[in-house]
Amino acid sequence: MSSIPSRRLSRASSRAESTFSFHSLPASTAPLALSSPAVTHRSEPSDFVRRSNRHKKIPVDVRTLEYLEPCDSNLVCLICHCPFDKAVRLACDHVFCNDCVDQAFAAQEGSAPKTCPTCRNRVDLNREPLPVPRILMSMLDELRVKCPNHKAGCTWADKRSDAQDHVELYCDHAQVECASPDCRLGVLQKDFHKGCLHYTVSCEHCHTSMMKKDLEQICPNRMTICTSCFIEILRHDLPSHLKEECPKATIMCPGSVCGCSFAHERTVVVAHVTTCPMATMAPFFQAQKARLDEQESQQKLLQRKVDILEGGLSNIQNMLYPANTNPNEPCPVPNPLDPNTIDYASGPLPGTPDFRLPAAAFPPASQPTVDQATAAGQPPQPPFDSSTHHLLSLHESLRDEVSRIANALTDLEGRTNMMIINENQRVKDEMLHTNAAINSMRMQLHWLTSARLQAQNRTTGGGGPGSSSAAGGSGSSGSGASRAGGNGGGSGSAGAGAGGSGLGGGVTLHPIRRLSDSNRQDTKL
Amino acid sequence: MTAAEVNSSEAKISPPSRSTTGSANVTKRLQTELMTLMMSSTPGISAFPNDENLLQWTATIDGPDGTPYAGLSFKLSFEFPSTYPLTAPTVLFKTPIYHPNIDFSGRICLDILKDKWSAIYNVQSVLLSLQSLLGEPNNSSPLNGQAAELWDKDPVEYKRLVLARHREDEETGLGL
Ligand SMILES: [Zn+2]
Ligand SMILES: [Zn+2]
Ligand SMILES: [Zn+2]
Ligand SMILES: [Zn+2]
Ligand SMILES: [Zn+2]
Ligand SMILES: [Zn+2]
Ligand SMILES: [Zn+2]
Repeated sequence: MSSIPSRRLSRASSRAESTFSFHSLPASTAPLALSSPAVTHRSEPSDFVRRSNRHKKIPVDVRTLEYLEPCDSNLVCLICHCPFDKAVRLACDHVFCNDCVDQAFAAQEGSAPKTCPTCRNRVDLNREPLPVPRILMSMLDELRVKCPNHKAGCTWADKRSDAQDHVELYCDHAQVECASPDCRLGVLQKDFHKGCLHYTVSCEHCHTSMMKKDLEQICPNRMTICTSCFIEILRHDLPSHLKEECPKATIMCPGSVCGCSFAHERTVVVAHVTTCPMATMAPFFQAQKARLDEQESQQKLLQRKVDILEGGLSNIQNMLYPANTNPNEPCPVPNPLDPNTIDYASGPLPGTPDFRLPAAAFPPASQPTVDQATAAGQPPQPPFDSSTHHLLSLHESLRDEVSRIANALTDLEGRTNMMIINENQRVKDEMLHTNAAINSMRMQLHWLTSARLQAQNRTTGGGGPGSSSAAGGSGSSGSGASRAGGNGGGSGSAGAGAGGSGLGGGVTLHPIRRLSDSNRQDTKL
Repeated sequence: MTAAEVNSSEAKISPPSRSTTGSANVTKRLQTELMTLMMSSTPGISAFPNDENLLQWTATIDGPDGTPYAGLSFKLSFEFPSTYPLTAPTVLFKTPIYHPNIDFSGRICLDILKDKWSAIYNVQSVLLSLQSLLGEPNNSSPLNGQAAELWDKDPVEYKRLVLARHREDEETGLGL
């Protein structure tokens, strides 16, 4: 019997450990999860600064840019046949690029006055070239160009005035210095993070050796034919081509998530999607599914919490009622977690009428509670709208019970104390009576022996040490007789008087000591 | 082609010097000119670069109607300096031509190809100028004095000589 509480205790402690481990898990992951975005946020600007430093500040040569649409011929410099770069105007209203007109002047014969390349008007270099009208500048700025690195793969295309910023700050295909400090070669911005790629490798497609950085660019076998649509594309673009754009690749209808089994070439599927109700519903269903999944995971988390709390609760209950345990029935209080507990719905136990929790407080999780309750003849309990409420009600009833027990305990203590005091008093009184009885009996005995001795002395008549000692002994015992003199009767007092006056001193001394002795004996009892 | 790509990408790393952009500009400018010529397709003139060398072109002009050169076509060669268009290209008649301002080796005496060259001129404008030169020779400073004299005095004889000179080309062409 004594082993059971200890076993319970160990179970309780193991439960406690499990709750601890459960709580410590999110606590340990939370800082990680918090810190990782912070790290990336911090790294972004530094990376930005680094790469803008890494890029060489090379002015974009506007004349080498490729324009998206053919340029208005009025915006084209007659010298370089490109849209004006830093346009300037001469006094004759002919406009050229600044560099172009400078070079044209330089090429004209030294001593002669400079002339306009178009109309041969004389140019006054102190006054000219003149600025061009603002509208011309903005028309030139708004010309749309491709990135200077578009041959390397950059797809950027925008206003010409932004090209410089793009190349310096954002272009992934710009040439930058290699990441390795002892390597002076250039590398594309997008490959910078891969480290030094300036080592020779053998290409698996054409078996020639080339630098790692050129592997995708210069391999003669780098192009391949898509087996579905027969266009020629870069070998390393093939997977994404098949997945995202190939018009002939077979794909599933996007409505496949809700049951559409249509699968065909991409172009056919695109046409099918416009008529497929399931494809129309698919985004909605997917959103719903995502929400459901989220709810489910949250529910699982809550379920775990409830399990832990219920475990803790049952431990509390086990600790509250250890007195009721016996080897045959280790837990008389029905375990709320155990649906096999037969008596949990059959009403309060006879032995513990007040200590039963309401049956409704124990609906076992996901068990047919109502059936059991009705089978036992009890009205079905109102369902709790959540496990938290359930636990709260359990907690409340437990708290009530504890306070009731506390009251009962104090009451009991008071009663016991009173009882003990009363009993003590009774025992004391009885002891006094007994003491008195013993004393009287002793006096009677003494009186009888002394009377017997006197009778003996009278018959022998002899003196000697033996008689004197006997007289001393009789004197000492006679003291009690003198105290309870009333009992002695007339013969006793006559005997004492016959005993000799010399013995009188001993008689007066002894009774006091004797009295104290008897007192001591009383306290001892 | 790949080597050129690598070269150009590595050239971008080092700061561009004037000379490299100069030659790049020539190429770029000649490419635009070629594009313009092919797109506009001006009647009577045509030009195309020789194989593998954008700095050397071969051009043809048709003799303008109403001139002794009508119905004839003439081949020319263009050689562009690396400073083009700041300096003029060297233009020569490859087809033998009888003309006051063109000598027997095909050299042309035209001011815009010499001191009057301007950076705004291009292959098309040069060809058009030469075409008009055929109909309007500058007889004040001839390279071929006989032709300059005959132009005014004996148009029939002039025409005969023009045709005879042009036929030389056909003969040599056949001989080759
Ligand atoms: Zn210009
Ligand atoms: Zn002018
Ligand atoms: Zn770019
Ligand atoms: Zn490297
Ligand atoms: Zn390869
Ligand atoms: Zn494809
Ligand atoms: Zn469908």
